[in-house]
Amino acid sequence: MTIPRPLATRPPLGRAASRRPLWRRVLSRRVLSRRADAHMARRSAAASLDWWVTIPAAVLCGIGLLLVWSATRNEPDSSLLTRQALSVGLGLALMWLVSRRDPRVLRAYVPVLYLIALAGLVAVLTPLGRTVNGSHAWIFLGSGLQFQPSEFAKIALILALAAALGELREGERRPGRGAVLLALALAGLPIGLIMFQPDYGTILVFAAISAGMILVSGAPKRWLAGLAAAGGLAVLLVWLLDLVQPYQIQRLMVLTDPDADPMGLGYNATQARIAVGSGGLLGKGLFQGEQTAGHFVPEQHTDFIFTVAGEELGFLGCAFIVLLMLFLLWRGLLIAARSATPYGTVLAGGVVCWLAFQTFVNVGMTIGLLPITGLPLPFVSYGGSATISTLTAVGFLSTVRRRTALPG
Amino acid sequence: MLRLSDPGRRLNAGLVVMAFVLSLLAGRLVQLQGLDSKVLQAKAADRREQSEKLPARRGSITDIAGHELAVTVEAREIYLDPKVVEPAKRDLVATTLATELNRSKEEIAAKLAKTTSRYAVVARDVDPLHAKKIMSFGFRGVGAKRTYYREYPGGRLAGGIVGFVGVDGYGLAGMESAFNKVLAGRDGEQSFETGGEGQRIPMTRSTRQEPVPGRDVRLTIDRDIQWAAQEAIAEQVKASRARSGSVIVIDVPTGRIVAMANAPEVDLTHWQDSPPGDRRNRAVSEVFEPGSTNKVITAAAAIESGTVRSDTVFRVPDSIQCADRRLKDAHPHPPESLTFAGIIAESSNVGTIMAAERISSQRLYDMFRAFGFGARSGVGLPGEEAGLLPGWQGWSGSQRCTIAYGQGISVTALQIASVYQTIANGGVRVTPTIVAGTTDGHGRFVPAPAPKRTRVISERTAREISLMLEAAVGHDGTGTEAAIPGYRVAGKTGTAMRYDQECGGYCGYTATFVGFTPADKPRLMALAVIQDPKKGHYGGTVAAPVFRNVMTFALKTRKIPPTGTKTPDVVLRAHR
Repeated sequence: MTIPRPLATRPPLGRAASRRPLWRRVLSRRVLSRRADAHMARRSAAASLDWWVTIPAAVLCGIGLLLVWSATRNEPDSSLLTRQALSVGLGLALMWLVSRRDPRVLRAYVPVLYLIALAGLVAVLTPLGRTVNGSHAWIFLGSGLQFQPSEFAKIALILALAAALGELREGERRPGRGAVLLALALAGLPIGLIMFQPDYGTILVFAAISAGMILVSGAPKRWLAGLAAAGGLAVLLVWLLDLVQPYQIQRLMVLTDPDADPMGLGYNATQARIAVGSGGLLGKGLFQGEQTAGHFVPEQHTDFIFTVAGEELGFLGCAFIVLLMLFLLWRGLLIAARSATPYGTVLAGGVVCWLAFQTFVNVGMTIGLLPITGLPLPFVSYGGSATISTLTAVGFLSTVRRRTALPG
Repeated sequence: MLRLSDPGRRLNAGLVVMAFVLSLLAGRLVQLQGLDSKVLQAKAADRREQSEKLPARRGSITDIAGHELAVTVEAREIYLDPKVVEPAKRDLVATTLATELNRSKEEIAAKLAKTTSRYAVVARDVDPLHAKKIMSFGFRGVGAKRTYYREYPGGRLAGGIVGFVGVDGYGLAGMESAFNKVLAGRDGEQSFETGGEGQRIPMTRSTRQEPVPGRDVRLTIDRDIQWAAQEAIAEQVKASRARSGSVIVIDVPTGRIVAMANAPEVDLTHWQDSPPGDRRNRAVSEVFEPGSTNKVITAAAAIESGTVRSDTVFRVPDSIQCADRRLKDAHPHPPESLTFAGIIAESSNVGTIMAAERISSQRLYDMFRAFGFGARSGVGLPGEEAGLLPGWQGWSGSQRCTIAYGQGISVTALQIASVYQTIANGGVRVTPTIVAGTTDGHGRFVPAPAPKRTRVISERTAREISLMLEAAVGHDGTGTEAAIPGYRVAGKTGTAMRYDQECGGYCGYTATFVGFTPADKPRLMALAVIQDPKKGHYGGTVAAPVFRNVMTFALKTRKIPPTGTKTPDVVLRAHR
């Protein structure tokens, strides 16, 4: 009697491919026949997108544009809104392009993308890099163009981890030791490079993505326990070896008592709280927020964009944004759960992890639940690299969905 | 259909975690935007609201004809906003401002270097036209703010009356202080909302309360007569090497002060440079023993009582025993038979005491009070003294006699002037006034309320005393130096022993002359008092010429013609 093999454990590719050693599989580009790829591309554009993730992402981008407009309306440099609009357009285009590809096509580019991402992270450490707000995270391209390699590295990381954790050998139901170790190595390399910038917020995002993907990949519980223990040990070591920067301790202290130094360390937290709180239930109306107009909250168009929403759109607006995001994440989880392949599950899970972690940390810091960390709010914050990469990641969700049993 | 595999369960767990985190966020949002919303809104408004004072323009102080004695001039304050000045242009800005404003370049460069500052004053009281020129260079971060400063076109002119303002524009002395409320107006206020870096937030609510400009105060002073009085007293104080002096000219029928000069007079433009003593208005704030000018009050009391007339003859020796003291006349002389008119004209102390002995102390005291001694005149000038008039019950035996000729009490120059104004005005005292009126909110002139008029002595008594005073200026009197050719002048000299705090007793003299013209139809009264003259000390020689000069000038300025009548003969000595 033959038990029907669950779809998730079915080898995604031909037998030949799955028998190849792990490292060969990861480095290989030959994953799908050209014919199959062409077939995928011929399908209509509309059919390729999953509207349940695309529409929330697009609406969030639209809200983001309005809020950026409001936040920068008294700014002498009026190009910020235009730039953000261009980024959104570019991101949506990339999302569409990505969604038209088979996940395995993306898989084919993983080694190249990963190496490019590493090269980018190395490049910021050279004189090509630029320091903004204490992080040496930008590369300046001339004529006002600059980008943040770490944002693109997030995509590369998700793809690489999906490749490492989601391609199971015949008979495997969960990634083996080798796959998890490879995943840890793939995550460790960019994290190590970002340490030099340093940008601890981004490191946390990388760690969260990696941990989440290992979790959803179905890795054995002992691995998870081991990882958790290692994480705890790392925190302890950092604390004991006194590697914590004084400003980080201060940010933690400000969290517990923001009024201790309202014009100094607690300025950002206090002002953010005031701006959000002054919005009340319905908000003061778009473009009507005096705190926003007065630029009381630093970085209000980027990391602190949620304060603009809080002041001008009120509780209802904030709830709408958060619920929209939650809907997108829920749909992403559903896509992950229903993915025909473990690769798709892990890929979609990684995207969800990334967006969820960044959303919660960003909103949490804005409303004073978490210490201040320089992370943008996905889709909403101003920032070209972040907007383009998050929208591209939403494209991944669409492409994974097409290979699932989910209804339209 | 897909069986929920291990990853699937974990994904479900992920959903639960997300829902939990979401509920945390939602709870916090409810707290901030629901429960604390009002508090945070108030905090937000508090952070934004700024206000700026809009200074009100201070009213002018003018003389009776509207000539400005104190005027507020619009100016500009040139300031820098070093944060906004472009670093590349700092040097150019510093050089240009240094040349234009006559400041050192280093000073301005130092201010520009403080880029954390948002406001640094480069120059105050800059002429608006000059400021306009500076602003036309168009430097970012260089601004001009409207300010006002007080100017005293007359310098020393009427310094003691006009007074001055401090650096904050608040009146500190004289009319500037007394009428500060009227002159100052009410400052306006502009409130607006500013952002995190102090910048104006566009499109936000702003309220503006316009300043209410101050009102003008018109004095009763005549600029020209005031100037002549100041010149005359300053010259005499210098010539007689006196300590100080004052001149008062009053319009007799109205009680209006036409001139009130002091020497030394404070220069209002540089009032900080003058000693504090000179910043006061001596004519009202300095008290002294009046001496013989006071004899008219004794005369008034005696005549009003009916016991003495101007032709009542007294046998006057050159000294008289009064209680424990022997009081003397200014010069020794054999006993003379003098009429009461003669006693006043020749200013005999002994004769005055003899006349005063015919009336009660209380009667004499009441007459002093009626003429305004021991009380402020009511003129409303700040720093005015009431003088010292002890109650009659407390008069010692000899004080009763000395008070009759003006020793043992102290008065201000204005109090004496008021006595002679009363006599000149037919016995009706008009409270001296210094303010003719003010302007109302629309710039229209509103006259000051009419001063109080009180009858002190009968018109007959006043005329009788007036004739006696005319005799005092006549060829046998003490005040011949006060005579003005063509005019009938009535007046009285005073040479009082001066109480000096520094030497703790009587040191030096107070020389006074006070009188009015024309004697038969008085229009102006004038008083000249000189404190502690070293070169000469008699009122008739030191003070009377000042009276004559000032009065001559005032009569000409006021175009007061001589009455053309002849002085009736007054019998001064009884010939037997």
